[in-house]
Amino acid sequence: MNVQGSQIDRDWMIKAIGGLALLVAVSPLFAIGAGAVGYIEPLEHAAELTGASDHATVIVAGLFTDYGVPGLGTATGTLVAGAFGTVLTLGVALGVGQGLAE
Amino acid sequence: MHTPDGFLHPWMVGALLVVSSLVVGTCLHRLRGTLSTARIQLFAIVTAGIFAAQLLNWPLPTPVSAHFVGGALAAIVLGPRLGIVSVSIVLAIQAFVFGDGGVLALGANVFNMAIVETLGGYAIYQLLAGYHRPTAIVAAGWGSITLAALAAGIELGLSPAFGYELVTTVVVMGGGHALLGVGEGLLTLLGVWLLETTGSPASDANRQGAQA
Repeated sequence: MNVQGSQIDRDWMIKAIGGLALLVAVSPLFAIGAGAVGYIEPLEHAAELTGASDHATVIVAGLFTDYGVPGLGTATGTLVAGAFGTVLTLGVALGVGQGLAE
Repeated sequence: MHTPDGFLHPWMVGALLVVSSLVVGTCLHRLRGTLSTARIQLFAIVTAGIFAAQLLNWPLPTPVSAHFVGGALAAIVLGPRLGIVSVSIVLAIQAFVFGDGGVLALGANVFNMAIVETLGGYAIYQLLAGYHRPTAIVAAGWGSITLAALAAGIELGLSPAFGYELVTTVVVMGGGHALLGVGEGLLTLLGVWLLETTGSPASDANRQGAQA
């Protein structure tokens, strides 16, 4: 069933939100795996090669710095922070979308 | 690929904040009054999906690794303007709530991942979709993240924190993401396939987005 027109397609939204929940649910596995292999992105690698790493500064650390929650382990922290961020993003996007509605 | 604060030259930080603000502002202005309820639903789910997919840092047995960015996916299913807005929302939330990417460097991150990646991915997709759509989607994902990484590499290489080592930053960023970008391409194809097979109006949204 397509979600065209002016009606909200509840069936599709339920399936889509289920997909989002699945992504969040598996995120702790990726966080643990990334920690195990010493995950590093090309940008961090370039910073290490050029000696730029020490220049990084933090102006706003955020409520959930590095997708973690103080006092919680990697898996639980990632799960909580990821769920919060996904719901927040969904809400902000819905709000922006409403502001652009026809 | 999220640039933190302190890495870029101050003039570049300011210039990219202005450029990105103008581009996102123009997109919002042009999109005002155009979104149907269905498009708002799709926009919200795709934006939240990009955030959730970016949580997944792929633990590859390689010297460097990466996560999905989603600029090409956003452009293909939402159109370029709404795609830029979608990825920009993700980047702003990541910077202010999760400390992922600097708040002053947000202009640079929006420029690289929301503007260059989205427009680059959309251009590649439009160029190739008439020949073989799945290949076009994979190429858009791969090419878009490589272009975004090259943009980031140039910005970093022109900044004093990186000793103006432009060749190093461009090779590491562009080369690294050119290899890892195969994953971005395959995940972009998976994302488009999932949206279309679960009944979302991805193709219709794309057509509307291209016109909006």
